[in-house]
Amino acid sequence: MQFHLPQDNPGSDSAVDLAIAGGGPAALSAALYAARYGLDHIVLESWQPGGQAALTALIENYPGVPSVPGSQLAATMKAQALEAGARFTTETVSGVEPLGDDLMVRTGTSSYTARTLIIATGAAPAKLGVPGEDRYYGRGVSFCATCDAPFYRGRRVVVVGGGDSAVKEALHLSGVVSGLVLVHRRDTLRAEPRLARRLLDCPTCEVRWNSTLKAITGDEQGVTGVDLDTPSGVEHLEVDGVFLYVGTRPATDPFRGLVELDARGAVLTRNIVETSRPGVYAAGDVTSNGFRQVVTAASDGARAAWAAFEYLDDRRRH
Amino acid sequence: MRQIKGAEMKALVADTGKLTLVDFSASWCGPCQMVHPVLEALSAEMADKVSFFKIDVDESPSEAGAMGVRGVPTMIIFHGGKEIDRQVGFRDKGDLRKTLEGLANRFLTPGKV
Repeated sequence: MQFHLPQDNPGSDSAVDLAIAGGGPAALSAALYAARYGLDHIVLESWQPGGQAALTALIENYPGVPSVPGSQLAATMKAQALEAGARFTTETVSGVEPLGDDLMVRTGTSSYTARTLIIATGAAPAKLGVPGEDRYYGRGVSFCATCDAPFYRGRRVVVVGGGDSAVKEALHLSGVVSGLVLVHRRDTLRAEPRLARRLLDCPTCEVRWNSTLKAITGDEQGVTGVDLDTPSGVEHLEVDGVFLYVGTRPATDPFRGLVELDARGAVLTRNIVETSRPGVYAAGDVTSNGFRQVVTAASDGARAAWAAFEYLDDRRRH
Repeated sequence: MRQIKGAEMKALVADTGKLTLVDFSASWCGPCQMVHPVLEALSAEMADKVSFFKIDVDESPSEAGAMGVRGVPTMIIFHGGKEIDRQVGFRDKGDLRKTLEGLANRFLTPGKV
């Protein structure tokens, strides 16, 4: 088979068979497989290297790795991809346009002509959109318990959300803080039962069911409290930290118009990784697939690299 | 990029000829390790406009507290001893460079808007 020969220094206007946008487990897995398939490729690492996995304190459900800090798992994945010959550059994709049968992938600093593209840009934590959220970001408002937990030793915090991330990170925080209130808008946790039980058994944790966070209050130094809307009325809690795990927003802005998105803004896929445009694939949290785990992201990435390989092979024959 | 003790900070950020970026980070923080090479690269590329220093929050907790740092990485940008901007969490190189260029244009070339 004839592929583009890999170049040592892909710079402006490089041509590649495959561009991979993203830096989390889906992109790293796609990179590993692309390198092993001998595809001429480039990984355009964007947003957070390691993706959301890198912000996760402990990952306990990745098969074969019983318990590992997320940042370590992501670093190991990247090292493995590099070892296999994967090529990375730290550039965020700003837009993609069709160019005949190929694609013009633009980043802030250069552009690439690519025959195929894997969109694996993941998702960023969603904001609540309440007063004080932006003002106190980094001054008490956090989306990363793993990064910020040590600042709250012996202090009180609230965690907002009821899914896996909220509960997992609340458990991580509960070992450090003096008190923790989980604020959840429903009357049951959506997190996997094993995690939910651990939270309900945690002695320093309380849950405010059917409640929402209305406002974050503070002073010059940062957050001092929150206002909650609870079934028994408005409640003010004095806390030093607010950790938000209220879902994610797919990072698809650069791909609007290129591929079909769903109402959330996630890339619509069929057969797991195929998008509405031939030669463009999507993998991991950026997709509409629903189940968002490190293991499913890694699986999507492998499938997407394989699909790109098959597509290129097919294009060459016809 | 030199690592400094919290006590050294005040004198270093007083510079008016250049901006000063102080990265509050920690050894246990994943995003801090990831942003480190970005800052190293920018410190070489933007040496004429910005001085870069790193403070380990575990070594200098009181300075981090005094600056209202409650998360890492927090990058505070100073001019003439005053905080002019603050970036929290991982930033990629293009993004951070754009922010710093913008601040440099505003603060280092008076008369130019």
